[in-house]
Amino acid sequence: MVQYEFKLPDIGEGVAEGEILKWLVKEGETVKEDQSLVEVMTDKVNVQIPSPRNGTIARTLAKEGEVVKVGQGILVIEVDAGSAPLPIPVESKEQVAPHEPVQTMQTQSSADRVLATPATRRLARELAVDIAQVKGTGPNGRVTDEDIKGMGQPSSEAPHRAGEQRVPLRGVRKTIAERMVKSIHTIAQVTHVDEADVTELVLLKEAFKGSAEKRGVKLTFLPLIIKAVIPALKEFPYVNSSLDEKVGEIVLKNYYNLGVATETEQGLLVPVIRDADRKDIFELSAEIERLAAKARSGELGLEEVHGSTFTITNLGSVGGLFATPIVNYPEVAILGVHKITKRAVVRDGKIEARDMMYLSLSFDHRVIDGAYAARFLNGIIDTIQDPKKLLSEIL
Amino acid sequence: MLQVVRADGEYDSKLEPNLRDEDLRKMYRYMLLVRRFNERMLLLQRQGRIGFFIESTGEEASQIGSAFALNKSDWVYESYRDPGVCLFRGVPLKALIDQLMANADDANKGRQMGVHWGYRDWNLVSVSSPVGCRLSQAVGTAYAAKFKKDNAVCMTSFGDGATSQGEFHSAMNFAGVFNVPVIFLCQNNQYAISLPVRRQTASANIAMKAEAYGFEGVLVDGNDVLAVYKVTKAAVDKARSGGGPTLIEAVTYRMGGHSSSDDPTKYRSSEELELWKTRDPITRFRRYLAKKGLLTEQDDRKVQDEVENEIVTTIKESEKVPPPTSFSMFTDVYAEMPWHIKEEADELMKEKS
Amino acid sequence: MAVLNIVQAVNRTLREEMRRNGNMIVLGEDVGKNGGVFRATEGLLDEFGAERVLDTPLSEDGIVGMAIGMSLYGLLPVAEIQFMDFIYPAFNQIVSELAKLRYRSGGQYPAHVVIRTPYGGGVKGGHYHSQSTEAYFIHTPGLTVVTPSSPYDTKGLLLSAMRSPDPVIFLEPKRLYRTVKEEVPEGEYLIPIGKAKVVQEGTDITLISWGPMVQTCKEALPLAAKENLSVELIDLRSLMPFDIETIIDSVKKTGRVVIAHEATKIAGFGAEISAQISERAVDSLKAPIARVAGYDTPFPYALESAYLPSPERILRALRKASSY
Repeated sequence: MVQYEFKLPDIGEGVAEGEILKWLVKEGETVKEDQSLVEVMTDKVNVQIPSPRNGTIARTLAKEGEVVKVGQGILVIEVDAGSAPLPIPVESKEQVAPHEPVQTMQTQSSADRVLATPATRRLARELAVDIAQVKGTGPNGRVTDEDIKGMGQPSSEAPHRAGEQRVPLRGVRKTIAERMVKSIHTIAQVTHVDEADVTELVLLKEAFKGSAEKRGVKLTFLPLIIKAVIPALKEFPYVNSSLDEKVGEIVLKNYYNLGVATETEQGLLVPVIRDADRKDIFELSAEIERLAAKARSGELGLEEVHGSTFTITNLGSVGGLFATPIVNYPEVAILGVHKITKRAVVRDGKIEARDMMYLSLSFDHRVIDGAYAARFLNGIIDTIQDPKKLLSEIL
Repeated sequence: MLQVVRADGEYDSKLEPNLRDEDLRKMYRYMLLVRRFNERMLLLQRQGRIGFFIESTGEEASQIGSAFALNKSDWVYESYRDPGVCLFRGVPLKALIDQLMANADDANKGRQMGVHWGYRDWNLVSVSSPVGCRLSQAVGTAYAAKFKKDNAVCMTSFGDGATSQGEFHSAMNFAGVFNVPVIFLCQNNQYAISLPVRRQTASANIAMKAEAYGFEGVLVDGNDVLAVYKVTKAAVDKARSGGGPTLIEAVTYRMGGHSSSDDPTKYRSSEELELWKTRDPITRFRRYLAKKGLLTEQDDRKVQDEVENEIVTTIKESEKVPPPTSFSMFTDVYAEMPWHIKEEADELMKEKS
Repeated sequence: MAVLNIVQAVNRTLREEMRRNGNMIVLGEDVGKNGGVFRATEGLLDEFGAERVLDTPLSEDGIVGMAIGMSLYGLLPVAEIQFMDFIYPAFNQIVSELAKLRYRSGGQYPAHVVIRTPYGGGVKGGHYHSQSTEAYFIHTPGLTVVTPSSPYDTKGLLLSAMRSPDPVIFLEPKRLYRTVKEEVPEGEYLIPIGKAKVVQEGTDITLISWGPMVQTCKEALPLAAKENLSVELIDLRSLMPFDIETIIDSVKKTGRVVIAHEATKIAGFGAEISAQISERAVDSLKAPIARVAGYDTPFPYALESAYLPSPERILRALRKASSY
């Protein structure tokens, strides 16, 4: 008679341990091969472990309720000296690195804790991705950068056709998608387009260039346009408002936080210049630069993307005549500023080459009407076209 | 063991050193100052007005006598039990009390416990707590003075306990080998905290140890200020003229405890204390001065009052001074503050604001 | 320009500085007549005489204590402790005195001593001729600790050490004494204390090291390159103060760190660097910070080559970090 220690076999992929639920045999009992000896509970499945041989149970090595690891002895069975030796439990094929404690598997499945390196967690924060929602494809189910970026892991449910690549809608892209749809479906959107003669504006920008450099900022058109927008917002307060649909009230705001639509790798972000009416063109320039840099490096804070009362979107550098921008809900209007080109225009009966720029104003027709919006835009254009007026706003 | 003035004030005129009357009176005044200083500071410690104190009551003669033999340009590695040496060399009383109070005026910026003196202007090297490590440094300084041909000598003062440290041995050995102008002044006050000197060393005395290192050891009555002065002066002159090191053992007695945290009644008999009281250095010198007609009772009272006044006034002044700034905790670790200390300093400063 | 090994660089630098500074003293066991057991002080006694080149009795505490006293009086003592393994009798002088004199005296007594000592294993020296215990000294505020890994750096760092106003422990990598040769310029150049050197730039992993281990790391670089690992190797050169900027810039670039040192792992300086990186750049980390270090045993004699981190051991750590 020979005694063998029977070890808990590998029950299923990735399982490293199980809890003894119920012993089905007693010490001293004679058992037949394949007879169920014990019921074991794992996180994947409840199994009954069959006897590997005919023999007698010499003693059990684990109690009911005890957690045993794969490869750990659970009982000692006495067999005939002549019978073949017991098979050694096969090494589980999980991706656990040899030195790592087996607990890791258990932890991930039983708790909400996500496995990810600090660098990956930061990436998730930057892309506004909830890391707990991401399926990890790294070792031990760790979430990788690629998992976050949503690359290379096709959705398992959708049909996969040749000639197609699937990119999951995640992070900033997902957020943009949701907000655009909400805006279009809620607002009664109209776009009003006009043009402005910005020849004087161009000259004015040149004039202030030196002062800007001295202050260490790069002066673009945007701060000058903002200086034209603010008085218009003050004169036409319903443009700087929101519709509180729940109580049916239009909320007029006497603070002026300007959203500046900014293109980044992740998608369109709208950082906010707070109290734009209280900043001079150099402070505006500096703030625009600062927010743009932060937007691009993914470091914008929550307060920096909330609370805008009016938004400006500038597509001038990319090109195009004019557009129909979508209002940044729950604001009431958005101003698109476009490319400056030299065009032939009629002035005082003569044809001249002037720097011209289109402006598109999309607005919520529930709150303001076309004439109001048009007059608002006229106000901006008048200020831009009249250097004296613009200067008086700047200084 | 050299003695010039006996306990009762009688003296051997053949052995008297060549000192002027005002020198003798100065010696007396300083010994009194040290005595009163010790008494006062101990009281302050018991009152919680200073944190820690080490008194040198009974050892005034070995301090003043030895200090008297040195020049301004000589260097001293004094021990924590040598306020008299500091005062005599010119350190203002307030500087000592500032150190004890660890206030913003302390020359050492309040960095150390009390009695850890250090005064560059008088060449008194900063004291640390581990005993014995100053000796080899004194050897180095003596070597440097000789190298630079400055005609200066270096004295280091330590107790009987320090002579057991390995560093005592290294220093004595180096001093002998390099023949440097150093004076090793061992103030054997019979105790190293609770260990009596006969358990500190099996040698018959400490002075004899010098022979092992190739130079002279001199035994002197440490409670006889003139004797101490004589032997120290001889050693200083010898050193200055290229004669090398000397070990002086000044036999004296620690009348008080090791420090304000020590209770000597646990390990000493009152008989022993009474015996040594009869050998008191100040009483002895007072009697000597009286015999020589240099000190009347009136003079004595006057100088005692002056000393008392000086101490009381200076205490008041020192107590007005605020503690050092928090930022000073971070300076002087290196000549220039490195980034990692600066960060920590900024952190603390931010917390406090 | 002369091609020198490290010992020659030490010798030449000491000699030039002795000529320049008449207050400089060299002292230690066997440094005079014998020229130092590694020949680092060869010829100095002949040129400068017994007053400036001192053969001292056999007492490390005496050497350092005497050096301290010399420096307080205005000399520049450059003391040699024959092997770092023998420095411990002088530990009290170094830690209680040398490191604290400026601070405890409120700036009145700045002590400036340079203690030169060979350290590190690889010379079949066993327990007592192979130790790297720089950690004890880095952990003592007030001390400056530097260690070159090449002849060029040896001269520049030694000059900086001698010109520094603070006490410096100058650790010489003894097994590289004669094995590394390079051009060392004539004339003066100082390598600033506290500045690391980027030996090789890379983008995948930051490998930080110092002293003798830098050489081993250099041997691992081609092995890493074969596996397409772009390694950035940093030689710290200065352990206290250390160049946190270079370290963090590199970590932010690569996100993966391996620190290699000969000293025993637990509480070695690598642990401090690791803590600093995790405090300042945790969001850049793509893998745990790894250390390749001496095992936590006394330095063995027979099994020395198994003990010392090898280029292969370093490569394994680089691989592991890159594939985490």
